[in-house]
Amino acid sequence: MTFDRVAIVEQALDGYLAQAIPGVASLSPDAPLRAGSSSTARRAVELFEDQVTSRAVDVAARELKKTNRSFYTISSAGHENNAVLGALLRITDPAFLHYRSGGLFMARARQLPGSTPAFDALLGVVASRDEPIAQGRHKVWGSRPLWMPPQTSTIASHLPKAMGLAFSLARARRLGIAGGLPSDAVVLCSFGDASANHATALSAINTARYAVRIGLPMPILFVCEDNRTGISVPTPEGWIADTFANQPHLRYMLAEGEIDQIWDTAAQAVHYVRSARQPAFLHLPTVRLWGHAGSDAEHAYRSAAEIAQNEAGDPLLRNARRLIETGGATPDELIALVEDARQRVMAAAEEATRRPRLETTQEVVAPMAPYHPARVAERASHPVLPAGERTMAFSGALPEDATAPTARTLAGNLNAALTDELARRPELILFGQDVARKGGVYNVTNGLQKRFGAGRVFDTLLDETSILGIAQGAAHIGLLPLPEIQYLAYIHNALDQLRGEAATLQFFSSGQFRNPMVVRVPGLAYQKGFGGHFHNDNSVGALRDIPGLVLAVPARGDDAARMLRGAIAMAAEDGRVVVFLEPIALYHEKDLHAEGDGGWLTDYPPPPAHLLPGEPGIYEIDGSPSPDLLIVSYANGLRLSLQAQRRLAADHGVLARVLDLRWLNPLPTESLRQQTGQVSAVLVVDECRRTGAGVADSIIADLAESGATQRLTSVRAVDSFVPLGPATSTVLVGTEQVVAAALAAVGERASAAS
Amino acid sequence: MTGMPRAVIVCPGRGSYTAASLGSLPADHPIVPRAEQLRSEYGLEPLLELDGVPRFDPARHLRPANASPLIFLTSLLDAEQAAADHSITAVIGNSLGWYSALAVAGALPFDDAFRLVQEMAIFQEEALGDGGQGGQVIYPLLDAEWAPVPDLRAAVSDVLTDGPGTGGRVFESIDLGGYVVLAGDERGVAHLLDRLPPVRIGERLVALRLALHGPYHTPLVEHVAELAADRLGNLRWQRPTVTLIDGRGACWSPWSTDPGALRDYTLGEQVTTPFRFAVSLRVALREHAPDVLVLPGPGNSLGGICGQLVVIEGYRGIRTRAEFEETQRSTAPVVLSMRR
Repeated sequence: MTFDRVAIVEQALDGYLAQAIPGVASLSPDAPLRAGSSSTARRAVELFEDQVTSRAVDVAARELKKTNRSFYTISSAGHENNAVLGALLRITDPAFLHYRSGGLFMARARQLPGSTPAFDALLGVVASRDEPIAQGRHKVWGSRPLWMPPQTSTIASHLPKAMGLAFSLARARRLGIAGGLPSDAVVLCSFGDASANHATALSAINTARYAVRIGLPMPILFVCEDNRTGISVPTPEGWIADTFANQPHLRYMLAEGEIDQIWDTAAQAVHYVRSARQPAFLHLPTVRLWGHAGSDAEHAYRSAAEIAQNEAGDPLLRNARRLIETGGATPDELIALVEDARQRVMAAAEEATRRPRLETTQEVVAPMAPYHPARVAERASHPVLPAGERTMAFSGALPEDATAPTARTLAGNLNAALTDELARRPELILFGQDVARKGGVYNVTNGLQKRFGAGRVFDTLLDETSILGIAQGAAHIGLLPLPEIQYLAYIHNALDQLRGEAATLQFFSSGQFRNPMVVRVPGLAYQKGFGGHFHNDNSVGALRDIPGLVLAVPARGDDAARMLRGAIAMAAEDGRVVVFLEPIALYHEKDLHAEGDGGWLTDYPPPPAHLLPGEPGIYEIDGSPSPDLLIVSYANGLRLSLQAQRRLAADHGVLARVLDLRWLNPLPTESLRQQTGQVSAVLVVDECRRTGAGVADSIIADLAESGATQRLTSVRAVDSFVPLGPATSTVLVGTEQVVAAALAAVGERASAAS
Repeated sequence: MTGMPRAVIVCPGRGSYTAASLGSLPADHPIVPRAEQLRSEYGLEPLLELDGVPRFDPARHLRPANASPLIFLTSLLDAEQAAADHSITAVIGNSLGWYSALAVAGALPFDDAFRLVQEMAIFQEEALGDGGQGGQVIYPLLDAEWAPVPDLRAAVSDVLTDGPGTGGRVFESIDLGGYVVLAGDERGVAHLLDRLPPVRIGERLVALRLALHGPYHTPLVEHVAELAADRLGNLRWQRPTVTLIDGRGACWSPWSTDPGALRDYTLGEQVTTPFRFAVSLRVALREHAPDVLVLPGPGNSLGGICGQLVVIEGYRGIRTRAEFEETQRSTAPVVLSMRR
């Protein structure tokens, strides 16, 4: 048995065409391929051209691999019937595609003259900088002019955002934001049969159905390309149909048979979604030729007979036969067509290898985390609402004009800041579970739905994956979402939506697509013994690990208002994905040192006041310009540090300067280094767990690597899940601990110097 | 077919027939007398006579009704010759060259292609006849080393945005990559010549108005499209025998072309919207990756333009004018001009 299955499949097609007998009568190009079909002979030939071109690209990728000139061999071979969707959908129908979409891509690109789909795909496989969407950062099916946001995921994590875009289409139009899409646009989202088992797939499909149930439009066409295999694991017989054929609010259609039958079924599905504005599930049986990828030795898990049987189902072979038998094309025509495609694609592949690649780190990371501070500051300051409109948004009483009391809590400041932002930025939408009617678990979003309407402030189902999917989809078309994940621990349920999807979009589209958002997350510990670990999660490691993600963690109300404006401006201007982590325990805290001192209340800073990364807060005891010690902290830790600062001065004569990081990603590294230069010791107070969950490691490492000779030390939470009740204090950092660590740092420094 | 170099044929446009082109037509080739026969129906002077005079007379030779068929015939004959030792993978053309391309690719029988060329030229003259109906202005976008000059692009953008005011209109007409051809009515042309900063190219100062050219590929020649629809309705359009790439960069294959759609494009959209030659060549280079671009005559008006586009594209790793010229001197030039 030969393992060159590529040659065998190619020869099977050539062999068939060489001996094929022309159809009895030739079919007029405008005649249907089958009576009653909406696919004409010409259309079928066009599809065949696209399919053959896609196949030739796959062959070229494997050919180049032999000389290590290509870097991606997951092919579309056997899936080329998805080309019907490329032809049936419009290029203003956003498409989130499976990685075997070569046929679809070729057919879709045909709708836009001047496209060079085969060459673009080849530039992808050779990882060239000239590739128009990802510039060699990944092989993707993507294109800005063809409205195909690039997908890199092989784990169905693109379904939630596709659903989110479908969810947002009508809503965005009502807000006057169309994203360049017509009112009858539909969303296409394709994936494989094995991927249909992913939680993300099931989550997106569930939410699509849920939307229908509550009366919302959901124009999405899910396409499951069923090759009955997940790498080496067979999908159980009938699994896809059994799972999806009978789900409420989901129209299931099976596109099987000859190419014209597949065309007709797909056309019906598209028509249904476009007219009914409801989801459909198109089940498209395919075969997978040549293993999962070039490196996959299929014979290790499939018998020779199984492989041969699979290859016999090659759609190119079947479509060629259909065209010839119906008289839609002659064998000679198809021989010439195939030869033409192979020749030009192989030549184009050689040309692609001569194109430049990404060479420097700077080139690679350029689109990952764009930041234009001056423009962001400008964006944070504008627009300025006319006084009357602003007053109206606050129901007649501006927060800064309040008397008795003037000061507000963190929650109160956030509520006012959200009101201001929603009032001056019509593209903002705010959503999550309980945020609308209830006003949030902690009242942070209280009254916002009443003020701004259910189109902009709305409750969602309890599914973090879908909440972040809706955020991404909405952001794709120009909305600026403020989703809320109810608790920090819950974000782990959907982390890949930020990590693998939202944070990567600008990177893999070279900034051509963006999904700006500010994800509000109540979190961290210290809820006075309430809630247990899920409601007191104290780890931000997973968020800080995401390249390009901005992490804001305000501690005080006035900071929170100003940071929220900065965060929204970064999203709006530079397309950034921001997580805005709000310390729950400080939401309603009023006091700092003693009960009733009101030390944690702040006056509301009205717009345009804002804060951006690199701007930490500095706290000194009056009249102590030369501190002994720098205490670095954030969130609850800031409050503990300020308490410790007073006790250190009063009880021990130690002067500490306290620095509030405010932004945990990126860290205010320059300020930290500069402040460190003015003291003899640095203490990092990190309320997150000791091992990599917080920022202490990064700060101390950076100071050490930058040559700091000061004593560098930290206090951190214990490596434990947070227990229920009073036992929480056994694992969390307390003021006493901060004081003790500060004294130790200063003392050791003093003795080392003497 | 295999073994021969894979070639894209690039047919030139209206400015290609010059003094050096006199004597291009072979009287003994059978299509020449056929062309003369077809031409006689229009009462126009014989092409061989025009081609055979000792002195080039711009007013006579550059007349659309004369220049167009001369160019068309020369291109067709050269392309036929090129096909003998090349494997033709695609055919493109610039402006009038699109009509030649249609004939080279067999999308129209010779007689019909000739009629198309001849009558379109007559329609264009009818438009020009009243005088003062506008024209085309060419302007460079690259420096002498063929590197983009952003200021020139900006000047073009400004002159299009900041139009000539009441009663005047300007448009983009042809995208040549290294040059842009703008067009307008008379007031528009004056505006273009007045407002585009002069650039020295060789001995010439441009912007330059193209002699006896109308405002082609703009809405100003809508009437040409109307005449074409009216009088050229019976041309026998057919599927080409080799892929054509049009002035939008759309491909017309031998297997799936709808001849009716090809007619609609050629007589309609192609006439009144910008002709993006640069896009058609880019599609040819990327999707067909030929060994060589073969440029039939007359003249070599597209030689430098194709060279510039090769450099812009970085085709075959050629990224500068010097690299292009070095390649041209090698045994494997990327542009093969059949005439000089």
